[in-house]
Amino acid sequence: MSQLATFIEEKRQQKPILSMTHVVYGYPSVEESLSWMERLMQEGVDFIEVQFPFSDPVADGPSIVAACHKALEQKLDVETCLSQLGKIAKNFPDSRIVLMSYLNPMYRFGLDKLAKRAAEENILGLILPDLPIEQAATYQAACKANNIDPVWLVTPVTPPDRLAMLAGQASGFLYCVARSGVTGHSVHENKSHEGKAKQTSLDDYLAQIKQHASAPMGVGFGLRERAQIEQLIGKADIAILGSALLDAYNKGGQEAGIKLIKDLFH
Amino acid sequence: MQSENGFYGQYGGSYIPEILYSSQQQILHAFEEAKNDPEFLAELNKQWQQFSGRPTPLTFCANLTEYFGGAQIYLKREDLNHSGAHKMNNVIGQGLLVKRMGKKRVIAETGAGQHGIATALVAARLGLECTIYMGAKDIERQYPNVFWMKQLGATVVPVTTGAQTLRDALDEALRDWSSSHEESHYLIGTSCGCAPFPEMVAYFQSVIGNEVREQSVAQFGQFPDRLYACVGGGSNACGLFLPFLDDKEVEMVGVEAGGKGLELGEHSIRLSHNLGQPGIAQGFATMFLQDSAGQLQETHSIAAGLDYVGVSPIIAHLAEIGRIKMTYAMDDEVIAACTLLLKKEGIIPALESSHALAGAFKDAPNLPKDSKIVINLSGRGDKDIFNVAKAVQDETFPQFLTDYLASYPTNHADHKEQNA
Ligand SMILES: Cc1ncc(COP(=O)(O)O)c(C=O)c1O
Repeated sequence: MSQLATFIEEKRQQKPILSMTHVVYGYPSVEESLSWMERLMQEGVDFIEVQFPFSDPVADGPSIVAACHKALEQKLDVETCLSQLGKIAKNFPDSRIVLMSYLNPMYRFGLDKLAKRAAEENILGLILPDLPIEQAATYQAACKANNIDPVWLVTPVTPPDRLAMLAGQASGFLYCVARSGVTGHSVHENKSHEGKAKQTSLDDYLAQIKQHASAPMGVGFGLRERAQIEQLIGKADIAILGSALLDAYNKGGQEAGIKLIKDLFH
Repeated sequence: MQSENGFYGQYGGSYIPEILYSSQQQILHAFEEAKNDPEFLAELNKQWQQFSGRPTPLTFCANLTEYFGGAQIYLKREDLNHSGAHKMNNVIGQGLLVKRMGKKRVIAETGAGQHGIATALVAARLGLECTIYMGAKDIERQYPNVFWMKQLGATVVPVTTGAQTLRDALDEALRDWSSSHEESHYLIGTSCGCAPFPEMVAYFQSVIGNEVREQSVAQFGQFPDRLYACVGGGSNACGLFLPFLDDKEVEMVGVEAGGKGLELGEHSIRLSHNLGQPGIAQGFATMFLQDSAGQLQETHSIAAGLDYVGVSPIIAHLAEIGRIKMTYAMDDEVIAACTLLLKKEGIIPALESSHALAGAFKDAPNLPKDSKIVINLSGRGDKDIFNVAKAVQDETFPQFLTDYLASYPTNHADHKEQNA
């Protein structure tokens, strides 16, 4: 069975919902991002999702885009990042790390090598939002060979048959995007052109996914309030906190970030 | 050119966030149906003719031919399209498709503003809401185009992320589309992006080459021996070249922007001299200008329409298999070619198109006297007035600007009184 799914199921015996907190590697500097990851681990988050920056992160909103561009003012290296994350993973055996990036920097590094090195550093899941499952055969095979999981995304507008296919192939966990748009407070939000047709409630959406998914479910995009986390309890396994945490960190540093996590996951 | 499941060799494909899957499929099917629907094609031809002025002429250049003493030089006059560039061919096509899909809003990226204006024109005509993403730096450099977009009723959104140019505008357009896909169509301006955009844009632009097939036979009794086109995203090149793909004797030359030099950041050469590398970004696989870690890099060209970091997967593939020969022209050669066309033929070329001229002018003297070459004059140069004035160091231009400013009513109080 998937190492990631096993970990999630065991942890879920103790907690109604697990936390996954997002950190941009190299933001505002490599040192500070590593220190922030360690702090989060010390505070007992269940996962950190580390984003290796790419110059053109099209699935991300303004907060994360700005952080990625700031981080890229330094030269960042995938291999260095993986070994630094490996150290953190070793020091905090009660939590797990998943790596998120876009295809191009990982493709340059080599997807086979990525799967192998990630596994060696105990990074159990990989998220590549711009790699569609149809193009992913060799990547899936590499993950399988190294006993780590490629994490697939489903969205409220994923057609039913495709949702069944993605959920059926999911291992580790399935990333359920909570709404249309990019991560965080989108600049495009609240405009008249936002789609109104697909207003399935989050509950119905998650129930629909659950029908097809044997893997655990994580929910992300736009989570910022305690009530939203509460709504997920019993319907999903992991709540993923991205831009809201980054915004808090930008406003008040690590302390503000930790406060937000405590408010949301107490 | 038919793709294999969206791929051209190793390039193309659809690498988009999952949220866009349904919209992408919708476009795929709508385009497939539309191009097999005689009514759609009739409407397309009508709009091309009645709104954009097609067919555009194939113009023989007697003076240039004599000047170089080699090949006989013809220009395909895409500059005579409404809006002054080939961009119109694509925008009319996609605009009609938007109506067909029942969407009410279009989103577009623009670098120089040519595609932005073309989109705003068609949106106005078809009654569509229109949002144009444009890098904040490009807005500064190309304000006259921004002015017209706004006058046409479009919303122009300055993009302040990254280098604040075309690549960032494209990212931002994709982000908008991710949240507005149910009502909005992403009207991409060149034959790039996720499938089916490269194929679709190339299809709408192929009207250029299809006309040249007829015109060349009618005017000089054969197909051209060689075709030249500048390559930014690759849409005008696809448009001229693809209809001749199976005519093996027709040679094709694509001209990229050499900019100021071959250092990374100084040019926009993706397809020759090992300057670009294969990559996957902005929804598709192609040759990108990037560093060894896979981060996309800055580009430069005197022609704002050529400084894109990637290139059409169709052109990347045809260059790789040797069907298209790729070359480049430097900024100063481009100005020289532009000036020569002005003086010899009385035609004002866009700086983008002047790259194709510069590429062709290098070869022309060495080609046989009975050979025929067709250069795609993708756009007219009126928009480049500021850049060309600077490049030729026109002495009176700064004075004109100073005088214009002096007489410009900047006082808000005055303005209110006028409106009152
Ligand atoms: C006149 C003109 N020619 C060429 C181009 C380059 O685009 P493409 O390579 O897609 O034809 C542009 C782009 O703005 C343009 O305005």
